[in-house]
Amino acid sequence: MSDTFQCGDNTALVGYLYDECEPAERAAIVAHTTLCAACAAELAALESARLQLASWTPPEADLGLRVVGARDAGREPQSALGTGSLSPALGVSTRPGAWWSQPLPAWAQAAAACLLFAAGLWLGVVRGITPGASPTVPASGVVTSGAAPAAASRAELAALERRLDAELTELRAAAPQGISGAQMLARVTALLEESEQRQQRELALRTAQMVRDFDSQRQVDLAQIQRNFGQIEGLTGAEIREQREMLNYLMRVSEQP
Amino acid sequence: MGNGPDVPFMTWTDEDLVARSRGGDLDSFNQLILRWERPIYAFAYRVIGREEDARDVCQETFLRAFRSLPGFKGQAKFSSWLYQIAMNLCRDWMRRQRRSRTVQLADGVDPAELASEQGPVESIEDLVSRRELSVAVEEAMALLPEEQRTAIVLKEYHGMTFQEIADLQGCPLSTVKTRLYQGLSVLRRHLEKYGRTPQLVKRL
Repeated sequence: MSDTFQCGDNTALVGYLYDECEPAERAAIVAHTTLCAACAAELAALESARLQLASWTPPEADLGLRVVGARDAGREPQSALGTGSLSPALGVSTRPGAWWSQPLPAWAQAAAACLLFAAGLWLGVVRGITPGASPTVPASGVVTSGAAPAAASRAELAALERRLDAELTELRAAAPQGISGAQMLARVTALLEESEQRQQRELALRTAQMVRDFDSQRQVDLAQIQRNFGQIEGLTGAEIREQREMLNYLMRVSEQP
Repeated sequence: MGNGPDVPFMTWTDEDLVARSRGGDLDSFNQLILRWERPIYAFAYRVIGREEDARDVCQETFLRAFRSLPGFKGQAKFSSWLYQIAMNLCRDWMRRQRRSRTVQLADGVDPAELASEQGPVESIEDLVSRRELSVAVEEAMALLPEEQRTAIVLKEYHGMTFQEIADLQGCPLSTVKTRLYQGLSVLRRHLEKYGRTPQLVKRL
């Protein structure tokens, strides 16, 4: 860097434009551009191009990239990029959705189906022992004794209870590691906390990005204002010079006989 | 490092996260991705001008960075290293495009408009909108040689110093300034051709 400026040194103007020049060179450029219209115009044109560039924003993209380990890789959607090699198997995947939007494990789906089936059966039985409530049991006539249907219903209920017990036992045996209600609750709580932390991190990052953008824009604006002031000062100086010249001229003319 | 497990990720520096990632901590690397995926995507988009391809470049950048972590000794800033990978990938992409001999225009670029560069200038009324200006800038940037475009993108949108750009592009600092000057000059002329005069821009 030098403390002088050669007229037409456009790379030095670029240094000035991006505020990456020594203070002495900066002062030299400011002084020069107040006198040299060509360099001042060149600088203004470069600044104009920069202003136009500021309007160009890339489209928003929901990237959501993350690296997943081998254990998770089998469960989550893989990108087309394949797998890496640092850890046993790695890949880039999109972030998973919320825990409640994830598909349920097979054992949980089976449990839900069985519960629904059992509830349906139970409702059917209850309706069956209510006189007149079920289309399968005639409301009149055939029943001669009140105790017989009650006994039959109790027998059916006992059989149903045994069957449900057996099914639930099978289900518990089929479930991996027999996850209890408390464990399930803990897992859901952990997932919720993880989701909350992720959202907080995302929010903090977005905030930091906004602050950074704001700061950089402010710096650009300040630099622009400073340069504009410099130009205005230059223009004012030129006007004063013109006025002085005009005054001198008038004085010379007035002194002539 | 000096950061315990209870310290939130966002207070860690890139170097901390890189060190932990090298130790096999995937969460740390994912945090680095979270920090840098948008800037890298924006860089790729502005250099190659296509949304889908920019996204692919972004993904590939992080995948390569992850694979190469053991070889990253911190000789440069992590972000500079990422930009270097992304820039190389963009160059590869452009080389492939040239080889395929198909003309790839940036999204939103009207080929007829480009073909009629010598044609009549659009009316000022049609130009007074920020969106149109953005498209015009994108078109003008697409016309620049890759080195000039990359230098402008790194300087204007990623705030790099001349020296950082010189290191990334592997050229002297004076060359960076020349590329910036030439690129800005071409942009200015191209935009003026479409009626994007400095006065008009200031009005927007």
